[in-house]
Amino acid sequence: MHPIRFVRVPAWGLLGLLALIGVGCGGEKTSDAPSDQAARSGETATTTAPDAPSFDFKVGIMTGTVSQGEDEYRGAQRMIRKYGADHIRHVTYPDNFMTEQEAMISQLLNLAADPKIKAIVFAQGVPGSMAAMKRIDELRPDIEFLIYEPHEDPHQVSEYADVSIITDNLKRGETIVELAHEMGAKTFVHYSFPRHMSQELISRRMKIMEETCQKLGMEFVFANAPDPTGDQGLPGAQKFILEDVPREIEKYGTDTAFFSTNCGMQEPLIRSCADNHAIMPEQCCPSPTHGYPGALGIAIAEGQAGDMGAIRNAIQEKVVAAGNSGRMATWPVSTGIVGIEALTEIAIQSVQGKVRVNDPDVIVAELQKAAGAKVTVHPFEDVDNYYMFLMDSVIF
Amino acid sequence: MARSSLGSTLASGLGKNLVPLLFATLCVTGILWAKISIPFLLTDVVPRLSRNLFLVLSLIIPVVAGMGLNFGIVIGAMCGQVGLILVENAGGQGLGALGLAMGLSLPLSLFFGWLTGLLLNRAKGREMITGMILGFFANGVYQAVFLLLAGPVLPFHNQNVLLDGGVGLVNTIDLVGTGRQLDALIRPSVRVSIFPIYFPVATILVSVLLCFAIRWYLRTKSGQDLRAVGQDMHVAEISGIGVDRSRVRAIMISTCLGGIGQIIFLSSWGTFNTYQSHEQVGPYAIAALLVGGATVVRATIWHAILGTLLFHTLISVVSIAGQTLVPSSWGGSQIGEYIREFLVYAVIAVTLALHAWRAKKA
Repeated sequence: MHPIRFVRVPAWGLLGLLALIGVGCGGEKTSDAPSDQAARSGETATTTAPDAPSFDFKVGIMTGTVSQGEDEYRGAQRMIRKYGADHIRHVTYPDNFMTEQEAMISQLLNLAADPKIKAIVFAQGVPGSMAAMKRIDELRPDIEFLIYEPHEDPHQVSEYADVSIITDNLKRGETIVELAHEMGAKTFVHYSFPRHMSQELISRRMKIMEETCQKLGMEFVFANAPDPTGDQGLPGAQKFILEDVPREIEKYGTDTAFFSTNCGMQEPLIRSCADNHAIMPEQCCPSPTHGYPGALGIAIAEGQAGDMGAIRNAIQEKVVAAGNSGRMATWPVSTGIVGIEALTEIAIQSVQGKVRVNDPDVIVAELQKAAGAKVTVHPFEDVDNYYMFLMDSVIF
Repeated sequence: MARSSLGSTLASGLGKNLVPLLFATLCVTGILWAKISIPFLLTDVVPRLSRNLFLVLSLIIPVVAGMGLNFGIVIGAMCGQVGLILVENAGGQGLGALGLAMGLSLPLSLFFGWLTGLLLNRAKGREMITGMILGFFANGVYQAVFLLLAGPVLPFHNQNVLLDGGVGLVNTIDLVGTGRQLDALIRPSVRVSIFPIYFPVATILVSVLLCFAIRWYLRTKSGQDLRAVGQDMHVAEISGIGVDRSRVRAIMISTCLGGIGQIIFLSSWGTFNTYQSHEQVGPYAIAALLVGGATVVRATIWHAILGTLLFHTLISVVSIAGQTLVPSSWGGSQIGEYIREFLVYAVIAVTLALHAWRAKKA
């Protein structure tokens, strides 16, 4: 028999709890303020950047780890190098962010526990961001939220975020297909899966792509791929892409353009396109560093990191060597890095009271400054704090 | 002689409670290392404890019935979500709407719990893996219903729930009508640091009520039957207990509680991922129960309470401690995340291995 022991508390349980409380209280005594605890958690090794401007608050940045999206991670690290760890605090969300949202909230609460944090940049605004903003807003209503690439419903996110920016997914529905058509595509294959198709903008973009294909006389094919957060994981999704692209090419010929809505699928997709001489007009998150270096075997040297010109040249060489010149393209700079830099700058200026956080002119100016290229910005429907941006492509 | 007996008692106690002690040690070490203040910890852990405890408690009855850890609880969570979706779509508001969502989830939970129980009776001895695979299968059905049928076949109309295209539900639903209803009912707060610490008393009370309900149930004739089945199915059968019926009943109760637990969890969260919120329920609740010292054959209410507290404290502490361990210039921002994953799941693996080892030894 295994009786349920309800009244008798196991002695070790009490001891453990007492130890926990006792030690915790001890820790509190040695800590001057929550900011101390926060300041010690990780960023202590980096000192203030020599050219950092003098402001006495901090901006928190939450990104994925390098395995989720290297661009955003590197973008946050660049901001630390620019302003110093005493002005920028960087934390990461779990790789499996869909199922470990409690861990994500802990990280954000830890940021918000630092009274010097006045703004938090989410990059990307993965599902759970809305819940996190709700929770932090309850505890620290003074913190501003700036989101790069929100995954949740635009109307709902706008209620909690101060400003959100995202690549202009609706307009890209036209531009990507038009670019593919210019590069000679007769068929357009769109890889996605149900979870992504339940995202408002991705779902609408696919419909626009289908309509644009019809307009240009191209065939549109929706190919269902496994969800990388599902039972097969990312390796299963990547394996599917490597196996399916040759099948599609066999069916529709090499003048087929491929597009996938998922970041993890870009590397196998680019590799397959290069190997099979298919067309790759743009990634889900357009950037020279997104998928291209890994797919084409480009080693980015320490000094080259962040040098988009050098990386573009290296991609150009590899694409030419693969005999697929003129059939692969992307945007000139990393949208992840540009988005984080622009939002961090806007956050700093907004907390200083110099600008309005959702001023479209400021958003355009900061995006262009970070990109070093022309950026077009449109608001999303009638929402005044949700903006979509677009850049011209470079064809390798 | 007495000293030797005390020594062996201590050694035996240590052996039995190795997992919670290991977790408590990790928590304390993490708190010391990162110098995490108790007010911050309470701000993070109290809401987690209140919203997760009900789900963890819902796993106890199948363990008592000898069916192991109910990975099929995911199905109960989906039923709970269906209740919430229906109420949000209808524009329900307030505590009544939350109660209605629970009420709507119950018939679904009972039906699918019954089906699950029937299936598990045909897979005796392999209940856990069967339940897990069943969860994957049910997930596929759930996704197909809400991605393809919601809109064209099922009459959803609320803009907060339905995609603009009119087919499928949005990937995150903001629980405008049912969110935080129970948490906000009685919620005293204490401000000892930059954050106020909120105590969601009503949510905690509901879990406490469930503790008493489980305790009461297991003392009834039906509960005693479950225990007998859990002890030895053959002996129970000879004693005239309907083994299969008892097992189906255990899974039905667990599925219903899982559904209500998921509604409490999501309501406290305030939003939910339409297509994946349920996936985190099984592994997290089961991990919490194991961390409290439970095994696949023995689980108590105190295992659930202590496990939930330790598991969520560790999740809160380890990421921060991991960042302290490694400076950000060496990747400290992300290393805490990997350390958390490694530690939490390593300890759970050790728990399962220890159980297998002890069972072999016995």
